[in-house]
Amino acid sequence: MKIGIPVLDELLKEIPRGKTLTYYIDPEVEGDVFGMQTLYRNLEEGYRCVYVTSTMSPTSLRNRFKEFGWYVDEFENFSVVDAYSAYVGATSDERYVVKDPTNLDELDEVIRKAIDENDLVVFGSLSTVIDICGEETLNYFERWKEQAEDSVIVSNFTAWPYSEDVLSKVKELSNAVVRIGGIHHRVILGHYYGILKVDWTQVKGRAVLFKVVKPGGVKAYIPKILVTGPYNAGKSTFVHAISNKAISVDRLGTTVALDHGKVEYKGFTIDVFGTPGQERFDPILKVLGSEALGVILVVDSTKPETFPRAKQLLEKTTHFGLPYVIAANKQDLPNALKPEEIRKLMHIPEDVPIIPTVATKKIGVYEVLDALIKLLIGEGYAKSEGAT
Amino acid sequence: MRIEILNIDVDSNNVMVIGPPLVGKSIFVRNIVWEKVSNGFGGVYVTTKDTAEAVLDWFQRFNLSDIKIIDCVSKTIFSDAPDTEDIKRVSIMDLTGISVRINMFLERFWKSGKRDVIIAFDSISTVLMYLNPQTVFRFLHVLTNRIKSFGAFAFYTVDEDMHDERTIAMLKQLFNGVIELKDEGNRRIFRYLSPSIRTEWRGFSIVNDRLEVSS
Repeated sequence: MKIGIPVLDELLKEIPRGKTLTYYIDPEVEGDVFGMQTLYRNLEEGYRCVYVTSTMSPTSLRNRFKEFGWYVDEFENFSVVDAYSAYVGATSDERYVVKDPTNLDELDEVIRKAIDENDLVVFGSLSTVIDICGEETLNYFERWKEQAEDSVIVSNFTAWPYSEDVLSKVKELSNAVVRIGGIHHRVILGHYYGILKVDWTQVKGRAVLFKVVKPGGVKAYIPKILVTGPYNAGKSTFVHAISNKAISVDRLGTTVALDHGKVEYKGFTIDVFGTPGQERFDPILKVLGSEALGVILVVDSTKPETFPRAKQLLEKTTHFGLPYVIAANKQDLPNALKPEEIRKLMHIPEDVPIIPTVATKKIGVYEVLDALIKLLIGEGYAKSEGAT
Repeated sequence: MRIEILNIDVDSNNVMVIGPPLVGKSIFVRNIVWEKVSNGFGGVYVTTKDTAEAVLDWFQRFNLSDIKIIDCVSKTIFSDAPDTEDIKRVSIMDLTGISVRINMFLERFWKSGKRDVIIAFDSISTVLMYLNPQTVFRFLHVLTNRIKSFGAFAFYTVDEDMHDERTIAMLKQLFNGVIELKDEGNRRIFRYLSPSIRTEWRGFSIVNDRLEVSS
């Protein structure tokens, strides 16, 4: 069976029959589209697919598919398990109807039938079934998995703060787990997905940023990080130091257009843009800032007289509320100020990391990148969940 | 945050507005939202009792249109009115959907540079009619943390007579401020409580849907 999600298609190839795939979704992230997209892709392939709805009526479900340009009713091989209508006192004329969605035995009977009669069963929200029927649902899920020898089960699971037992069991019961996460700042600035687990192929951890497009569904994109700072602070050197590939457009040794580098780091592919430090280029900063996910401010630690300009650049690029990290560069030179001295002079809040660096020798540059990634996605993906 | 209409300062990001049925909790909260949004705040109204159109009509009666609404009613009653830029509809059973849409509006405010935001959730009691307290607690735990992290102010209405003491106690853990409303027969009163502020009981009345607080 197909997965239908960019990059996952290349990494996982396909879902073998008899396997389960769980989309493990952060509670504030629009993740239901993943299960829907996998289902639609397989409808197109001619497989018999059924969608279990517990959070919306079948009509709303079909309209939700339509939002993405997926007209599921045009496919005879599409059906719905309606585990919603009875809950709100409505009738249903779907092929599979759960008369009492709070009763696990009734749900079990319908799900078993759906597994027998279809190639793919997608749970629109496994977490909602658990919320309604209790944690015992997972014991039933284990039996559904055993029964699905010749079919595939895909689930959207919202990882609310359940007990650790529930969260672990959901992962254990799945042959593959794809985490759908949010890049948290004060708000969620972006979304990513990455493979936490798969038992039918070997993959290297890789995180992909995505946008949900209507119509279209999940689309992967490459995030941008902006490197800014006053004239001669070492921005170009910094961009070259962290990049696997980088180019600069410069004249007389200073950047007059943009530095651009591509960074492969901890499973992420990141586009890094270095801005010119001169004031005449300031108008482009806001444009770049509006498209970036985070900012690295490079300052020359030996030149406090440039700090007001550094603050000005920070204000221009973080106008949109982007998270930022400061690289206290040129720490190998005499009279270089320590990060805490810079924090005081620039009035930088305590929660903003200021990392000592010597970009010419690549000292501290990855710590800066680490600090920014930690600000963006927390400790989660890169450290504890197996990305390389 | 100063609320002129109540003549109080609210120092909690997440405030439970609790009182008996028909004491006027919804109108109370709508008046607070109206005051703040009229003065430049971004406003989000999550409605579980009235459709988006009914809520919007209410605000428009008082010359306010610039409010975002998450309508948890229309889809539950099987109406499939479409979403608009400022109105998003989601089933009350779909807590993830509610959470995603609140975040979407917060993100929009954030990216447009708007940092002062007020949110009304009217009401938690309706959600508790459909889903068990543990599920609602988990949802609110995530939501209240997001509100705090953003620095917004949110007001959640709760019918105190609809839930057992254990549920009310569990809900109170999530909110760092409470506005209590009481109906004393011939007059209605309220007070605000937080770890650092405790106001006196004050009388209020509702005339033509507008809140009037006795001095």
